[in-house]
Amino acid sequence: MFEVVDHEKLTHKVHRLRISAPHVARKAQPGQFVILILDEKGERVPFTISDWDRQAGTVDFVFLEVGRTTERMARLQKGDTLAHFVGPLGKPAEIDKFGHVVCVVSGYGLAGMVPIIKRLKEKGNRITTIMQAADNESLYNQEALKQFSDHLLIGVGGAGGGPATALKPLEDMLKNLDHEPMDRITAMASICLMRFIAEATRNMGIKTTVHMAPVMVDGTGMCGACRLAHADGTQFACVHGPEFDAHKIKAWDTLMARRCTYADDSIMQPGFKCDNCSQW
Amino acid sequence: MEMPKQAPCERKHNFDEVATGYTLEMALQESRRCIQCKKRNCVEGCPVNIQIPDFISRMQKNDLAGAARVLKKYTSLPGICGRVCPQESQCESKCTLNKKGVPVAIGRLERFLADWERSQGGAAIPDLTPSTGKKVAVVGSGPSGLTVAADLALLGHQVDMFEALHVAGGVLMYGIPEFRLPKAIVQGEVEYVKKLGVNLKLDYVIGINASMDELLESYDAIFLGTGAGLPWFLDIPGENFNNVYSANEFLTRCNLMKAYRYPEYATPIKMGRRVAVVGGGNVAMDSARCAVRLGAEKVMVIYRRSRAEMPARLEEMENAEEEGVEFHFLVAPSAMIGDGRKNVCGMECIRMELGEPDASGRRRPVPVKGSEYVVETDTVVVSLGTSPNPLIASTTPDLQVSKKGTIVVDENGKSSKARVWAGGDIISGGATVISAMGEARIAATAIHKYLVNIDQ
Ligand SMILES: Cc1cc2nc3c(=O)[nH]c(=O)nc-3n(C[C@H](O)[C@H](O)[C@H](O)COP(=O)(O)OP(=O)(O)OC[C@H]3O[C@@H](n4cnc5c(N)ncnc54)[C@H](O)[C@@H]3O)c2cc1C
Ligand SMILES: Cc1cc2nc3c(=O)[nH]c(=O)nc-3n(C[C@H](O)[C@H](O)[C@H](O)COP(=O)(O)OP(=O)(O)OC[C@H]3O[C@@H](n4cnc5c(N)ncnc54)[C@H](O)[C@@H]3O)c2cc1C
Ligand code: SF4
Ligand code: FES
Repeated sequence: MFEVVDHEKLTHKVHRLRISAPHVARKAQPGQFVILILDEKGERVPFTISDWDRQAGTVDFVFLEVGRTTERMARLQKGDTLAHFVGPLGKPAEIDKFGHVVCVVSGYGLAGMVPIIKRLKEKGNRITTIMQAADNESLYNQEALKQFSDHLLIGVGGAGGGPATALKPLEDMLKNLDHEPMDRITAMASICLMRFIAEATRNMGIKTTVHMAPVMVDGTGMCGACRLAHADGTQFACVHGPEFDAHKIKAWDTLMARRCTYADDSIMQPGFKCDNCSQW
Repeated sequence: MEMPKQAPCERKHNFDEVATGYTLEMALQESRRCIQCKKRNCVEGCPVNIQIPDFISRMQKNDLAGAARVLKKYTSLPGICGRVCPQESQCESKCTLNKKGVPVAIGRLERFLADWERSQGGAAIPDLTPSTGKKVAVVGSGPSGLTVAADLALLGHQVDMFEALHVAGGVLMYGIPEFRLPKAIVQGEVEYVKKLGVNLKLDYVIGINASMDELLESYDAIFLGTGAGLPWFLDIPGENFNNVYSANEFLTRCNLMKAYRYPEYATPIKMGRRVAVVGGGNVAMDSARCAVRLGAEKVMVIYRRSRAEMPARLEEMENAEEEGVEFHFLVAPSAMIGDGRKNVCGMECIRMELGEPDASGRRRPVPVKGSEYVVETDTVVVSLGTSPNPLIASTTPDLQVSKKGTIVVDENGKSSKARVWAGGDIISGGATVISAMGEARIAATAIHKYLVNIDQ
């Protein structure tokens, strides 16, 4: 059993949980994720680690209320327990001295990217962060993102709120590369936004990585639910990723369809916007 | 003697065990068929050399407790072996009576004894040897891990067993379906191993939460029983369309996560009406029979060789056929066809014919030019086989592995790394429960020998 040490509501539908799990905290690295199970009848559900405290033995993550399990999680209180909590799964994000790194975040990426940005900053990179949300009320974690970024741009969607709102500042920057070169782009955002970014930079010679979140079951490389077509052959997001070179990912439309396999009910989610998915 | 079974029309609609087991009278009557041969042919056929005539002779004298005790001396998992071992190619195939017709139903007697023992409140905990103060880490809680853990705990060593998943049992829990091997029976065996003093640590992945070298700092020896869980795919166009599953995903959702009881259990499984299972082994049979029970209208097994080459157990094929599963032989998929929204809606297949024998001695299937046709299907389960789990090998550079990814061991199960032994599917690449147990036994003996000699 894993105890909920803290539960903070960040916005209307976004929550941060702190879980006591010393064996996970001890090994956590930026970009890795955990899988939790609420009770013995629960589903295995993945979340990106947003912070950890090795001394205290705690692990943080932020989640969006979107469906069955996350709605139940929204009701968890300090002192409650999770039946299972396993991690840190997946490869850590690639961290090095790259130069000017542009980080694009939406959804849980606003939290999940923080440890990555922090480490990139420590390595001496210059960081521009573009955060996107459907509206001002949905923005959170601004302070943390600001603290480790040299520039913070905010794309708040107007009426449409689609991926284009974060793409706009990025496209402006891509037009301005002569004045302000870009060495790397990394995105933890909705799959449609990440796909647009991949297309925008495909022929520009800028290394672009994306943090993928396909449907998963075990998270340890045993089921293949999380597989994706990749230039180097089929890859499993839970063991070969979740971070991938965006330009090596093939068949984005299939990936988007797979991501939505079980989304039938959650298409009703407030704020769920998808512009170019073959499912609709 | 035949074992009573649920009728096909009934069992198609539930996940309860298909074979309901002998009654006491049936078991005693069957035991009396054994002629107690001097030359123990059956024992030779058993990969762990269970002294079969010894437990049967006690049954013949109505001494069930004694019979169960004999059995437990050779296998710590009789309730499991009695159900899933391929006895028809092991002990029963060697049984003297087989030459004249029908062998003694050794597997069914084994199963009966295990179930009888369970109904009596479970196996008695034998006297444990005083603690030796030695510590062993067992990685993986499948049949091989459970066996090593039990053997070494009985010998007085302290055993911690690490399992990556949230439940112990390995393939017995996530792969083999409830209707063939009830999960309560597997958990009963796990509880027994825990009662021997084994410490089970779930949700703990070796190679992530602790490296092998970190483990070796706190343990005197390690046994690796991490299995072969990495699924193979066909590598054909469209294979990532929606509703194309690996057998591992399909079975894990269904058995481990209990998707057949969704929404009581939270994990869903999306399945259409016409299910095509690609492959011809036991895993394919299990997938097909799960699909039947999940409500598919039509379930087809697509196999590229002919019936004679099918690796699945005959009994399981017969069960599947009785339940309405169709077999398409000498057919191989060449592409998945999408419905425009990336859901699979058909599978292009090509007919095969049998050519020259290949390395396995079976005749190699070769495609018949121009014989392509389309199988209408909306759900495909790819069941081609699996490779060893690579995580430990990839995080332990000084552990020697073969090209196939199996851990290389000597005849005692000892790996190239000091104080590390291995057994089960991680050394064989994928075999049977009983062979995993047999290898585990050998490794446990070697580990014990090593541990008692450390201080001398
Ligand atoms: C590597 C990884 C990291 C993730 N990190 C986070 C995070 O930090 N914060 C966060 O809020 N969410 C994260 N997600 C997504 C999160 O797992 C889903 O939101 C969650 O599974 C939804 O469950 P539900 O039962 O509430 O929703 P439902 O919509 O009821 O779920 C239905 C089904 O769809 C699947 N599913 C739904 N959404 C997703 C999704 N986005 N990704 C994968 N499977 C999905 C679930 O497995 C479930 O079977 C991550 C996903 C992955 C794979
Ligand atoms: C669907 C199916 C049906 C089958 N039917 C039969 C049958 O009828 N009869 C028969 O004899 N055999 C059958 N088999 C084969 C049999 O189940 C296997 O040979 C046997 O389970 C192998 O046992 P094992 O202990 O080596 O590994 P497994 O049972 O695979 O167990 C390995 C365990 O190790 C865990 N693990 C892996 N890596 C790590 C790590 N790094 N850290 C911690 N834990 C880890 C895994 O999660 C797993 O629980 C079947 C297999 C399948 C898939
Ligand atoms: S070979 Fe058959 S008849 Fe002979 S002892 Fe073994 S089980 Fe009995
Ligand atoms: S989630 Fe099962 S292999 Fe990645």
